[in-house]
Amino acid sequence: MSDELDITGGITRMESAFGSGDGDQDAQATVAQKAEIKGAIFEQSYRPWRGTLGPRWVRNYSIYRHHVYGLFTSKGHRHYPIMVRLTILGIFLFSLSPVAMLFLASMGGNGDFGEVLSRLWGINRYNLWGQVLGFFPRNMCMWPLLTALVVGGMISDDRSNGTSAIYFSRPVNRIDYTAMKFLSSAVVLGFVIVFSYILYYTGAIVFRGEGWAFLIDTFPMFLGGLLAGLLLVLTYTSIGLALSSISQSRFFAGVAFLATIYGTKMVAFLIESQFDSSILYIFSPYDVLAHIGQWLLGIESNYDHSLAFSVVSLLLMNGISIALLASRVSSLEVTRE
Amino acid sequence: MAPESTPLPLIEARALRKLYGPHLALEDVNLAIPHGATGLLGPNGAGKSTLFKCILGLIKATSGDGHVLGHDMRTEGHLIRSKIGYMPEYDSLDPGLNAIDQVRYSGELLGMNSSAATQRAHEVLEYVGLKDQRYRKIETFSTGMKQATKLACALIHDPEILICDEPTNGLDQRARNFMLQTLRRTVTDGGRSVIMSSHVMDDVQEVCDRIVMIHKGKIVVEGKIDELVSQVESEIEISVWGGASEMESQLVSMGMPVRRLGRNMRVSKSSEETYSKIMEAASLCGVQVRKMSDYEPDLEDIFLLIMDRLGEEVKGTDDLMTDEHRGLPV
Repeated sequence: MSDELDITGGITRMESAFGSGDGDQDAQATVAQKAEIKGAIFEQSYRPWRGTLGPRWVRNYSIYRHHVYGLFTSKGHRHYPIMVRLTILGIFLFSLSPVAMLFLASMGGNGDFGEVLSRLWGINRYNLWGQVLGFFPRNMCMWPLLTALVVGGMISDDRSNGTSAIYFSRPVNRIDYTAMKFLSSAVVLGFVIVFSYILYYTGAIVFRGEGWAFLIDTFPMFLGGLLAGLLLVLTYTSIGLALSSISQSRFFAGVAFLATIYGTKMVAFLIESQFDSSILYIFSPYDVLAHIGQWLLGIESNYDHSLAFSVVSLLLMNGISIALLASRVSSLEVTRE
Repeated sequence: MAPESTPLPLIEARALRKLYGPHLALEDVNLAIPHGATGLLGPNGAGKSTLFKCILGLIKATSGDGHVLGHDMRTEGHLIRSKIGYMPEYDSLDPGLNAIDQVRYSGELLGMNSSAATQRAHEVLEYVGLKDQRYRKIETFSTGMKQATKLACALIHDPEILICDEPTNGLDQRARNFMLQTLRRTVTDGGRSVIMSSHVMDDVQEVCDRIVMIHKGKIVVEGKIDELVSQVESEIEISVWGGASEMESQLVSMGMPVRRLGRNMRVSKSSEETYSKIMEAASLCGVQVRKMSDYEPDLEDIFLLIMDRLGEEVKGTDDLMTDEHRGLPV
């Protein structure tokens, strides 16, 4: 081959076949990912937050909402198992049964059927007392079970899951925490117990077409029953929360509450039947409330002992429960549980 | 030249003392923690938790005073806690909630409104690597995911100080690395300060540039890790074959302090002649020196040295760890 032979710019057979020499050297492949971030799943970057924190009531309302809304929707709020929610719904519907009977009575017109239903379920002192404080079925099957289900895990869950740290490492103080837990429980119990009582009374007025005279006659009784209902809600909540605060198990707290209500009643009943004395009923939360409720509604007392014993006992029960609750909540830890 | 201005410490304590009945939990603690990452070290029961509680304003010191971000520890705990993110050591999550709801709720407990808390919960869960798991229930989470959720809860309000109590407890290597990287990034990229307690010195060294060591309620060491490491005397690490015990005795008899672990020994380096003295000792004992190099001290050495000087029988930080720290079932 001579030295003069110039081969620059020539095309090889390979380049002719695959076209890789004519401008292809500048070509760029389009790929889905840049080579330098190969293997990275996400890019971690810290983003600041420039918002402002709300005041104390905002924090407290969030505690209240978390516990109460959870009953209606578990999404995003405290989780109540479906069976608990169904049981509470069942109790609520059953507590409204007198309203249904009054509705039936109103449908029966002036006939015997309507008259019988009205006499059995209509508004009077005994029925108003029974709607809140009757032992069977309400205080035997419904209210204690409702309290055990709602209040049982209210604080014990925080103790067992360690979630107390989430509260107390934030600007939530122990008084607010306890007060909001108390309020949340009382609102749920109140919704079932007191609201059903109010519906019963208003239902009677609406279904029977009662007028002002009826209202004037019965309203004081209604208020007495309302106060008795509120006392029941407060007392059951105090005792239930105190039991919840001393345990790490919602089951223990619930069963302990049922045992307290039924056990004290049973012991007092046995003593009364053997020794003909009702004094031990002052240890039974239900009977103390029933006694005071009878006085508030102006009906004859079932108990031999003085009302003052029941009043003092009620104050002591609530006082001891709240003292125990406060003491146990103050022991909830942030750094270790 | 004008003197370099020193920024005010974020946390400052003077003669802080805390008594639980007759038990002295903190004894005259003087502390100044500046911006950055600080490791809080100490054996179990040293007073770390008590110090955290004081910093968070949860307990009142018996005497002394202190300020966190300019707020009085004794009277303005609620203000301090709104500016601090605290990541507890133990489980503190509701297993029945989704991660997003748990983090949102923790934001609401700080006073964030619901929509802001929800938006921020998405951001921080992405930051801690749980973007794809945020709608899963916490009861289905692994330990690493739970730790990340706790970190997200602590970060939701973009706190000025993040306090992490044993953040790598029970984590596998991958989750541990990610957690440490996240904490480091929070300091470097986010400009926040981190205070972490840990028994794992490597973790502290990876994240922090300063340490505070506490022992029996007293601060025994406080300072930058680099500066402390430079104060530890140099050592030569050797690995011998055949007659390690004889070699150890020979070195001691030649006036060279030795720390021995099996066939590996560390000999105090007094001068450059130490190398030849070691070889001479090996020759006298008839053992092979298979490896000889300068040993770079780390935080573990500082810790052991201090524990040794305090008369504590600690062979390694592993002695301080429980099964829970190692992620083993308890």
